Amino acid sequence: MNKRRPNPKQVPDPNEPLWRSTLRVAMPLNLSYIPIGLACGILLHAAGFNTLLTGLVSILIFSGGAQFLIATMLTINSPLLSIVLMLFFLELRYALLSSSLSPYLKGQSNRFLFAFAISLNDENYAINYLKFATDKKWTGKEALMVEHYSLLFWAVSNVIGSLIGSALKIDLGVVNFALTALFLYMIVMQIKNRLTIVICLVSGVLAAVCMMLTKSTLGLVISTIIASLIGFFLETTLRKHLPASHWLWKLRSPGAKKSTVESESDAN
Amino acid sequence: MSAVNTWNSTQHFWLIILGFCVAFVPRFLPLMLFTKRAIPEWFNEWMKFVPVSLFTALVVKDVFIDSATYQIIFTHFSEMIAAVIVVVIAYRTRSMAISVITGLIAVFLLSMFIA
Repeated sequence: MNKRRPNPKQVPDPNEPLWRSTLRVAMPLNLSYIPIGLACGILLHAAGFNTLLTGLVSILIFSGGAQFLIATMLTINSPLLSIVLMLFFLELRYALLSSSLSPYLKGQSNRFLFAFAISLNDENYAINYLKFATDKKWTGKEALMVEHYSLLFWAVSNVIGSLIGSALKIDLGVVNFALTALFLYMIVMQIKNRLTIVICLVSGVLAAVCMMLTKSTLGLVISTIIASLIGFFLETTLRKHLPASHWLWKLRSPGAKKSTVESESDAN
Repeated sequence: MSAVNTWNSTQHFWLIILGFCVAFVPRFLPLMLFTKRAIPEWFNEWMKFVPVSLFTALVVKDVFIDSATYQIIFTHFSEMIAAVIVVVIAYRTRSMAISVITGLIAVFLLSMFIA
């Protein structure tokens, strides 16, 4: 019997240049960056950023959540320190992402790691992590190319959004909901077991209480630290004493199989 | 979203530079350290809960907290309903673009009917 039936999707054209095969992998993500990048550019423009600075922030910070947060906090006139502190906690999650990619990037030069870290992002992380885990030929070089493609699409969409914002009058309350929707999406993607849902509720209540007490967004930082520590201790305790607890049961989503990465095969 | 920010471009520039520092260090440092040595288990276990806690806190701020007085409010009905729609869509499709666009359309339509 023929053990290996040739699958047109899994055997790429060997003559296909590298820039095209990596672009094909990055394309679903690139396209989804366009609407979000536009919304982000519009909001940054409304917060007072000029087009040049909008381009700069999307290249240097390259994080949808962080850029939306900058825009929102500027419009409510938060002090600089409060914004930077909030950004720090928002970006702290990248410590987790880059630690989990580190086994695949062993032996790379520091210069490569520097370039890789600059353009690392939630979404290109998801693509590269899956590629590293499933494709033996996937190396740091390809991963970096995917990052650069997504960075290019993100920055261009932001700049165009900024230009749209200066040309048209747009209801910002509606555009601002893009951020809330983005965070809701990321929460849903993070939910692995029932305990995570409990932590969500704890964090939500704590956030409301802390913000009312501190009368500032510092409450968000405090509630995040407390809630994540509660989660950490609860999980450690449950694992130790009740390893079969139903709070640790994995949750599966109906759409789990069709991730952003796998939908690349639909795109071509 | 009514108040207008009074910062000038130089201040924005410094915000970007500081923002770059806090964005870059958490991405680079673990990569730098853990390509050379193993990751401490407790750090990973703790970090696992940071994103979900922070995102929930931010959603609560957007939907339930008044940005001027920092008091809790339950009057953003269109945002509340749209948020539920986004969660369902995100859960079913797992697509970022579809979730965000549906959310925007939902909040736009809802805000026309509900104040």
